[in-house]
Amino acid sequence: MILVNYLAAAAMFCVGLYALLTRRNMIKMVMGLSLMEAASYLFMISLAYRDKSTAPILLDPAGGQTNESLARGNVADPVLQNFCLTAIVIGVAITAVFLSIVVRVAQHYRTLDADRVRELRG
Amino acid sequence: MPDASVRHRSGRDREAAEHEPAHRRAVGLLLAGGMLAALAVAVAAIPREHAPLSVIARYAMLIALPRWNLTEPVNEIVYGTRGFDTFAETFLLLAAVVSVIVLTRPREPRRGYFGEEAAAARERAAADPAERADEEERLALSAERREQGEEPAGPGTRRPETPDRTPLGVPAPETADAMSIVVRTAIRIALPVLAVAGLYIVAYGFSPGAGFPGGAVMLGVVLLAYAGFGRRRISRVVRPALVEVIELAGGVAITVILLLGLVLEGSFGANWLPLAAPETILSGGVAQAFSASELVEVGTGLIIVIFAVLGMSHDWTPDQPEPDANETDKGADEAREAGTRSEER
Repeated sequence: MILVNYLAAAAMFCVGLYALLTRRNMIKMVMGLSLMEAASYLFMISLAYRDKSTAPILLDPAGGQTNESLARGNVADPVLQNFCLTAIVIGVAITAVFLSIVVRVAQHYRTLDADRVRELRG
Repeated sequence: MPDASVRHRSGRDREAAEHEPAHRRAVGLLLAGGMLAALAVAVAAIPREHAPLSVIARYAMLIALPRWNLTEPVNEIVYGTRGFDTFAETFLLLAAVVSVIVLTRPREPRRGYFGEEAAAARERAAADPAERADEEERLALSAERREQGEEPAGPGTRRPETPDRTPLGVPAPETADAMSIVVRTAIRIALPVLAVAGLYIVAYGFSPGAGFPGGAVMLGVVLLAYAGFGRRRISRVVRPALVEVIELAGGVAITVILLLGLVLEGSFGANWLPLAAPETILSGGVAQAFSASELVEVGTGLIIVIFAVLGMSHDWTPDQPEPDANETDKGADEAREAGTRSEER
């Protein structure tokens, strides 16, 4: 049933993409990008899930398992959890870059409307 | 009066359209829908909850305890197996921080994130004599100074030095530079707990990621102090000259720790520190040192980007249409367009 999670992540990504494509307010475009980013976190964490698994923590595992048997046994994927961890921190910094660009554009052109930023048009 | 109502409605429509500007909804819907279809087909074919763990995940699970004395395989992956990736991601973060610093940089170098634009007023006036304050800007600046207690609040009165000096039960409205005593007290209680918890998850490597969430907690601590007590109370600590130096020191520490692995053990990021018993502060060896440096790097990096964006100077007070300014603006627009045209040619 984890397929539902995958599809939810895909839907969330597309909502972000739709916002990015159709909004003209640049703050909302950044929100669309953040939504796409959050969809990727959901996707990675869903990929890490294993049926009836335990957390990858080698500290007094429950159910009579030893650390060794847990390491060979059924656990959630720690690599994808790691991807997610670092991606969140990088995502905050990248969103700050986008927002500072938006503030500078707004200061320069006195508008948040991407269409009215005429000088950027091809 | 059908004409008037039509005109009225179209005016309102236009207003609504400006309120929620959007364009090419159909194209956007088509592209987003197409993307959704492609993604749905793609995710239908990828491994699901019964797939075996990837080789690297299994490898990390197996070596976390014997080779690193770490009970947390996620930590082992972040700072051990995928240490080189984390190293590169750190510099991705640093690149983002540098971008924000460059983008938010004011015209003059500054010592604090807030209030420097007032200090540099004389130099700015010299650099840009055409810029002048209108009535709205003067009012806003005066209100801001009053909020900061730099100016008497009214005839014969003066704001207390810090919000804590305000006597209880005073009917005056709250000033904007600090929250109410309820929030301030709650923050005073929560702040040390939060700070200790943040350091704890780094010091004991039982928590996934350690330095990354720890750094985010440090940002939370500083932001709580800022929200509760106002910018003047944190200005001695949160200033570019200090935070940026600490940030770069963290980056240097990470590089040195990983390079020493190359020098002493023959591979970049290899462990060269003695391993203590599992579940102690030094159990991860190099992984713990890397994690602590990452705490410094991530914590200060996030503080820099947030405060740089918060403190972007207010040089965009709208040029309200002053009767004589319109002519100049139009002239400037025409000149700019002429410039663009000549560039195109």
